[in-house]
Amino acid sequence: MDTLAHTATGSPAAMPAMAPPQLDLELRGIRKRYGDFTAVDGVSLKIRKGQFVCLLGPSGCGKTTTLRCVAGLEEPDDGGILIGGREVTKDPPWERDIAMMFQDFALFPHMSVAKNVGFGLEMLKKPKAQIAERVQQVLKSFEIASLADRKPGSLSGGQRQRVALARAMITEPRILLLDEPIGALDYSLRETVMLELKLLQQRTGISFIWVTHDQNEAFSLGDLVVVMNHARIEQQGAPEDILQRPATAFVASFVQGNNVFRGRVVQAADGLLRVETAAGSFLVPGSAQAIGSEVSFSVRAENITDLTGEHHLNQLTARCTTVEYFGSVRRHIFERPDGELLKYDQFGAYAARIAAGQVAVLGWRPQDTVLHTGAAG
Amino acid sequence: MSTIRVRSAASYWLAVPAAIWMLGVVVVPILLLGWVSLWGGRSFSPASPLTFDNYTKFFANKTYLQLVLTTVTHTVGLMAVTGVIGYAIAYFMTMKVRHSAWRLVLFLAFVVPFWTSALIRGIAWVPFLGVNGVINQALMFTGATHSPIEAFLYSRFGISMAQASLYTMMAAGPVIYMLNSIAPQLREAAMTLKAPPLVVFWRIVLPLTLPGVVIGQVLVFLNVMADFATVATVGGNKHAMLPNLVLLFYEGSQHRAASVVAVLLMACMLIGVVAAMKVVDIRRLGAER
Repeated sequence: MDTLAHTATGSPAAMPAMAPPQLDLELRGIRKRYGDFTAVDGVSLKIRKGQFVCLLGPSGCGKTTTLRCVAGLEEPDDGGILIGGREVTKDPPWERDIAMMFQDFALFPHMSVAKNVGFGLEMLKKPKAQIAERVQQVLKSFEIASLADRKPGSLSGGQRQRVALARAMITEPRILLLDEPIGALDYSLRETVMLELKLLQQRTGISFIWVTHDQNEAFSLGDLVVVMNHARIEQQGAPEDILQRPATAFVASFVQGNNVFRGRVVQAADGLLRVETAAGSFLVPGSAQAIGSEVSFSVRAENITDLTGEHHLNQLTARCTTVEYFGSVRRHIFERPDGELLKYDQFGAYAARIAAGQVAVLGWRPQDTVLHTGAAG
Repeated sequence: MSTIRVRSAASYWLAVPAAIWMLGVVVVPILLLGWVSLWGGRSFSPASPLTFDNYTKFFANKTYLQLVLTTVTHTVGLMAVTGVIGYAIAYFMTMKVRHSAWRLVLFLAFVVPFWTSALIRGIAWVPFLGVNGVINQALMFTGATHSPIEAFLYSRFGISMAQASLYTMMAAGPVIYMLNSIAPQLREAAMTLKAPPLVVFWRIVLPLTLPGVVIGQVLVFLNVMADFATVATVGGNKHAMLPNLVLLFYEGSQHRAASVVAVLLMACMLIGVVAAMKVVDIRRLGAER
């Protein structure tokens, strides 16, 4: 795939001087409405050159619509889109410096693999001989040269995925948009393909915008993860930020392994808040919140222990309902006093300490809790 | 629920009633026609000697040959007209009408006229096209013409107009079906690969709907080739096509000549269908997706 590598240092095409050239994509408060339904509600985003960005969220959160706005397949009602510093909000897809990979790959069924892959170059009106040569190169680098004359209908899912990727990458776009690109693949294939795509992105330096509802994909691939819900961005940041410091109750509950509590601040002292919840009263780091205000906070499952000490100022008693064993992690599901579930992870191949049905005292340190400070957008 | 497996004995038995019916009303009469068309001699009986004389006589007559040519060119012209209009209607209904209620209304508007017979719909054109017909009155009212245009009724033009209205939906129907089966992502993928709309149509939409176009063209071809009723009503006595000649010979009790023309008409149709199958294998419709 190194035939595509030179795009990393691609020619510095003439760009308007007004925009910062290091941004591949900028969304300025884009909005998209369908009748009464608001699909995208004021999404702003800046993507630096060569970033791997994952738009993560449940279905219907607006991530795909956002991607389609970038592609030009939807026109936002409001807001602006800049690709490489150039305003493209009203430009049709065929005038934008992007390529897109569709969830079901959208290969042209009446064309051979080679024709599919060469389509983008044909549209750029490249000479026939040059197209044929380049298609051969790319097919080889994607290890699908033997499929050149086959029709898409006779290919396996993994082969189709490679053809779709080759077809999108051959034009060397500034940004590659990927709409759930591995969602249609067999589960066993996904991890390999993810790694390949990550390596390809690093080698080519093309910005990837990857839409997914699968947080494993988002956190293992993305340099920047953008969590969306109800047409808005809930939080964006590095995977560590979002995993360790969720900004909202939604992000905390959407991301695996968090225990979310909601309550009211009853006391504040020494940078700690005492929050009264239906599951008990807990200490949470924070100082900006007024007494009486409604807050939410979360604690990760691996930061909870059943070996409570004096520094585990937060404690609650709960009954274990199930224990799930994953080899390196033993996940215990407890029923909290407020009826919600509490997850507690025990790492390492230790013997089980708690069995289903057992009542235990669980504890965690105030500094392991994260107070949600609202949309960090 | 019980199912019948393909190629099991039961599935063959299911075909028997239809096969008997087709044999009785299609295959045997066609064979009889072919046989009668070869009868020679003076008496009209199965004892007649077999000869190609009837065909030789037909081909020796320049007027008849001209009629074959006229029928074919007329049909091809009508295929072109209905093909273009039909495709435009199909494209409009599937791609441009977004609202499903509107789509239904339009679809019914196109389909409801088909609830009456082709003969009635053909005759219905007479008051439109006549010297004092609706079209002439409209033209004179708007001042487009001072005297009525006689060329509408009892002319090839009038026949073509009536037949275009009768058969355009036959050309459009299969295209609507094919257009609906094209995933929107295919067009979107082409657009993101820098193809402007016309190129998307030419490279993606048209090739994928080609089987529908061909089926529609075959339907129009077969129907126009066999349509004597519209030609007789809208064309009056001035115009005739091959099927009218069959009728003429039949009414004159010239059964051998009628058989010859019928066989030739069928041969033309067969050639047309075979040619269509060469372009697109309609039996493998949709196998590529």
